[in-house]
Amino acid sequence: MKKILFMVIASSLIFLVACGNKKTTETKEVADKADQVVEFWHIETGEREKIYEEAALEFEKENPGVKVKLTRFPNDSYKEKLSVAMAGGEVPDVFQSWGGGWLKNFADEGNVLDITADVEENHFNQLTLDNSTYDGKVYGLPMGLTIDVVFYNKEIFDEYGLVPPKTFDEWLEIIDILNENNVIPIALTNKTKWPGAYYFMNFAARVGGPELFNNALNRQGQGFDDPAYVEAGKYIQELVERNAFNPGFNGVPYDEGQGRQLLYSGQAAMMDMTISMVNDIRNEAPDFEEKVDFFLFPTVEGGKGDQTQVGGSASPVFSVYEESEVAELSINYIKHLTNKERAYEYVERTGSLSAVAGVPPKNPLVKRFFEVTENATHIQMPYDQTLPPELGELHKDTTQALFALDMTPEEAAKKMEEKASQLLD
Amino acid sequence: MKGNPTVIDSEAINNNHTAKIKKYRKMITILLFLAPALIVYALYVIYPIITTFGYSLHDWNGISDKVFIGLTNYSRLLSDEVFWISLKNNIWVVIASVFVQIPLGLLMALLLFAPIKGIRLFNGIYFIPFLMSTVAVGMLWGLMFDPINGTINQLINLLGFENVAWLSQKNTAIFSVLLVIVWQFAPFYMILFKAGIVGIAEDMYEAAEIDGANYIQKFRKITLPLLIPTIVTSSILAIVGSLKSFDLFYIMTGGGPNHATEILGTYMYKQAFVNFNMGYGSSIAFVMFLIALVVVIIIQSLDAYRKKRGDSL
Repeated sequence: MKKILFMVIASSLIFLVACGNKKTTETKEVADKADQVVEFWHIETGEREKIYEEAALEFEKENPGVKVKLTRFPNDSYKEKLSVAMAGGEVPDVFQSWGGGWLKNFADEGNVLDITADVEENHFNQLTLDNSTYDGKVYGLPMGLTIDVVFYNKEIFDEYGLVPPKTFDEWLEIIDILNENNVIPIALTNKTKWPGAYYFMNFAARVGGPELFNNALNRQGQGFDDPAYVEAGKYIQELVERNAFNPGFNGVPYDEGQGRQLLYSGQAAMMDMTISMVNDIRNEAPDFEEKVDFFLFPTVEGGKGDQTQVGGSASPVFSVYEESEVAELSINYIKHLTNKERAYEYVERTGSLSAVAGVPPKNPLVKRFFEVTENATHIQMPYDQTLPPELGELHKDTTQALFALDMTPEEAAKKMEEKASQLLD
Repeated sequence: MKGNPTVIDSEAINNNHTAKIKKYRKMITILLFLAPALIVYALYVIYPIITTFGYSLHDWNGISDKVFIGLTNYSRLLSDEVFWISLKNNIWVVIASVFVQIPLGLLMALLLFAPIKGIRLFNGIYFIPFLMSTVAVGMLWGLMFDPINGTINQLINLLGFENVAWLSQKNTAIFSVLLVIVWQFAPFYMILFKAGIVGIAEDMYEAAEIDGANYIQKFRKITLPLLIPTIVTSSILAIVGSLKSFDLFYIMTGGGPNHATEILGTYMYKQAFVNFNMGYGSSIAFVMFLIALVVVIIIQSLDAYRKKRGDSL
């Protein structure tokens, strides 16, 4: 009797396994017979996406029989999407990221291909390449370099006779004047937490100087409960208490564009954002580009930092999945994406800066971004890109709570330091 | 048909052994019929639960090698502030589902049977929310709750109130999401109750009418007692569903602001896939399973007890 039961279970299992096998052999055959496909995941819209598409077409032409399959994901959920894919082993051949600690996490686990041998010397701006280089090995090729600046509407500033502020106190004066005139001083889209995190990073760097973060991360003399971090939290809460931001900022997402809409329509006067917003402006409200200008994050009284230290990130960065079946093609593809001609296109059409060395922009606004990076003494990569993921999330959570006035700066700093000593010591 | 049993009977008397074989055979037949479902169930339900428990005993980031750490994840869970916030929020969802959603569903079902002109139109209208995909519902309400241009804010502006950031303020966020949950799922219980009411024999009402019972008496003495099984089923579905809820919270608030709307589902997801604590995430998942299991056992045994007493309300 047991035999029969065993037979039944065994045969159903064999049936299941057989089904499974059939599928895999089928797909393999298809891959062998038909064209080779390079799968590419990205998050870009507008001109940037068009550049990817054009690059894909060109690459397909140069390599007959090869197809590039582009899939675009919304920015806000992309990180999680890719993490889930990594955990499940369903990773595309080529994927876009922001480099930094996040990519390192996957590189450490052997999920990302080491492409050191394929990097041409001096092709990239070294600082941006460093962002995806770990222990001397390169795991991703950067295409762009972005910095974060405070954009403002020139028309509104002219109307009320305002000049871009250099210091925090000047900034507060501007905020008060705008509030008196019923203009929202600053548009903030903090639902996804990273836009607000820029304020925290900037204030911390202005108060404690550019070395603060690295010291805290490497556990050298300073921690995440350093007085400078507490101070940074206080500055944020001072802005909130002054009504510097649009109502409900913690519930406004960046991707959907309600925040940018405030800026475009003249309801809000300023917005702290990375320069990739120029790509959004060109895509969504091309007329607005002539009205927009920017200033660098203001300094604070008695702070150790100055305006030559900017926040920024090397993005997009392209990496190849370790177990890609078309690894060689994929490497060629990302090299193709980051070649010099493409870099020129990228700078001209998207208003971004290139990670490829020696590609100066022509557009006056973008040219000034370029000058900022040329003169920068330090570029601070975003914390959540650099810290271990759990600590990075906590940093964003506590910062959002600071903005909501739900947490005191001391509490936030203490929480960060507790988790940091748990994870880093 | 007729001949067989007698043959077997005589055999059974002659030989006890053959009776046993007969019994086995019957069991095998049953098992054979159950096998396909059983295998699928074991493969997709039981096996994952066991492996989840296995993962929860490890320190594992989802990619690298697992390190066995025993019950450390569970002790960490008990002292994790966010876990308790999540559990509390889950209980809010359960309360809203059982004490708002189900009565509302019942009310809607009763309304549809009331002799009101044009009520049949509402048959469809009431049911529409449940037909929409949860993601669409979440995004739709997300836009309605939008702090800048949302419909709800425009409405309260007309009444002279200031904008409220529904989903991003600690004290309003959870109730805003609960409202949407009730809105979306009440129609489901309405359908269950409608089916239950249709199943009640018409002659009982007729008899009651002859005895001079009014609407309220008919509802209390006939409809409600006969709907108890439906209410029990609905409660189990509502409670288990609430403990498992994830999607609306994930889409509308992502558990924010500052964990104010964190529930076990979103917290598990965050730990496993955002913070790369697959082991810790698994322990949250397993605790969710345990809670749901215990709750269902309690409800089922209460119901069994009720049936045994032959009780009615």
